[in-house]
Amino acid sequence: MPADALRFLPAARPSAPRPRLQSGMATRTAGPVRENVQETDLIREAQAGSRTAFDALVRQYDQAVLRLAMHLTGSEQDAQDIQQEAFLKAYRYLGNFRFECSFYTWIYRIVTNLCLDHLRRRKARREDQAVLIDSQGEEMDLLTNVSDDRAGANPARELDRKYLGQRIRMALEELTPRERMVFELKHYQGLRLRTIGEMLNTTEETAKNTLFRATKKLRLKLAELR
Amino acid sequence: MMNCDLAQESIVLAVYGELPDDRAHQLDQHLAQCERCRQEMDAVEGLQKAMSVVPVLEPSPSLVARARLRLDEALDAMPHGGFFLRRWQSLRRGVGRLQSAPVMASVLLLAGLGVGGWAGYHEGAQSAAKHTATAAAAPSAVPVLADLDAAQIAGVSSITREPNTENVEVRFYRMVPETAFGTLDDPQIRQLLLMGVRNAADPSVHNDSVDLLAQECRSGHECDGGPIRNALMVALRYDKDAQVRSKALVGLEPYIAMDTRVRDAILEALLKDPDPGIRSQAVSVLAPVEADSSVRDVLQTVASQDQNPHIRNVSRQYLEQVSLQ
Repeated sequence: MPADALRFLPAARPSAPRPRLQSGMATRTAGPVRENVQETDLIREAQAGSRTAFDALVRQYDQAVLRLAMHLTGSEQDAQDIQQEAFLKAYRYLGNFRFECSFYTWIYRIVTNLCLDHLRRRKARREDQAVLIDSQGEEMDLLTNVSDDRAGANPARELDRKYLGQRIRMALEELTPRERMVFELKHYQGLRLRTIGEMLNTTEETAKNTLFRATKKLRLKLAELR
Repeated sequence: MMNCDLAQESIVLAVYGELPDDRAHQLDQHLAQCERCRQEMDAVEGLQKAMSVVPVLEPSPSLVARARLRLDEALDAMPHGGFFLRRWQSLRRGVGRLQSAPVMASVLLLAGLGVGGWAGYHEGAQSAAKHTATAAAAPSAVPVLADLDAAQIAGVSSITREPNTENVEVRFYRMVPETAFGTLDDPQIRQLLLMGVRNAADPSVHNDSVDLLAQECRSGHECDGGPIRNALMVALRYDKDAQVRSKALVGLEPYIAMDTRVRDAILEALLKDPDPGIRSQAVSVLAPVEADSSVRDVLQTVASQDQNPHIRNVSRQYLEQVSLQ
């Protein structure tokens, strides 16, 4: 992606209410007003050239970014690449951030764009990567990491869950990149549709329709499992 | 009263906590009466539960640490925006131009060698003439070589000056014409073809080299990364001959989806190439990655600004296809 791609982003709309998040961003919920003031200060300092302030901003968001990218790409290596490219872009274009939307929305807009590029390239290559690859290139078994006491006690159930997990990943792969992204942000990351619309430079209504289409497709693909 | 179509849309929103209170009330009323929509509600809830089998994992502390370290290093190596950004970008453009520098550097080196040799010979001859005039016993200047041709000199290996005289012994290598014969997959043949690409003196050698290497890439004969792809990208960016640029573009096409450098070179051709044929060809090869945001951005620029109406039309069509996805 050329370095100036961010210039093509249209002017951001006014800030949305802080989205509810499932996890990862939980540290940001205490004292939101004071925190926002602190974040604004950090952004201004970073814009003035302070690396320390920028590092502090990175540490507020990098885990959430990695978590999103890892779940979407299924690869630790790709997630690291996306995280790095996203923050380098943010660093380079921080001067263009005008506080017209929240910094959260701004950084996620960069990340979702990079993730969409990744998904599209993967679709173009017709790569079928239904398993998670760790940084050593080894396959990671997602389901062994799920804490489920019932499954642990019953090998047959464990096998069923494995099969179901594979089918779900395949069904997710068959969504268009945009549907996959909206479903990811809504279902797995727990964001509001309005915020998702802002991040993807579209309206809440379009995000809603895309979510509707994605759930319909997933239900069709997974119908025989129920 | 809510109908079934609206109810089914509302069910998805309700499951995800996005349904406004008044619509939620209407949905409750509808569900109380409609068995089909109750089943729909159960199915959507079932899907939501099933999807939790693919959990969102927190990145491990070691992954977070590795990612931070890598980012720190990359940030350290990067200048900050504003003035420095502009300097950085101009530096990168400068490095890009340097890619074409080796040819010019070689020409200058050989020209310098030739002029230096001639000047040295001229100076030596004059000095010897003086010596001859003033002292008949002094040794006369010996022409170095009658047929000395700078373009034939591959390199100078040693220089030894005779003590207390103006005489110097220069050892050098001369190029000898040779012929190599082998398959296109042979590394030495490929090396020679790469040198042929850099041969600016003979356009036919240059054209044939680019053509053969492009065909090799096109047919998937091991041209992953490395010098051949680079040579084709340089040819696409800088070659004066549109036919050569077109051939290079054909050779690069298979790598457009996997290699971002190739994609950027083709995007650059689409924006800047003076030949409409090349721009048109670039638009068509971008089809597999048209949904990539950088490609989309360039297509938008071309769709509104290209001088050629056909190229504007094709770009617009691709953009419309993307927006339908």
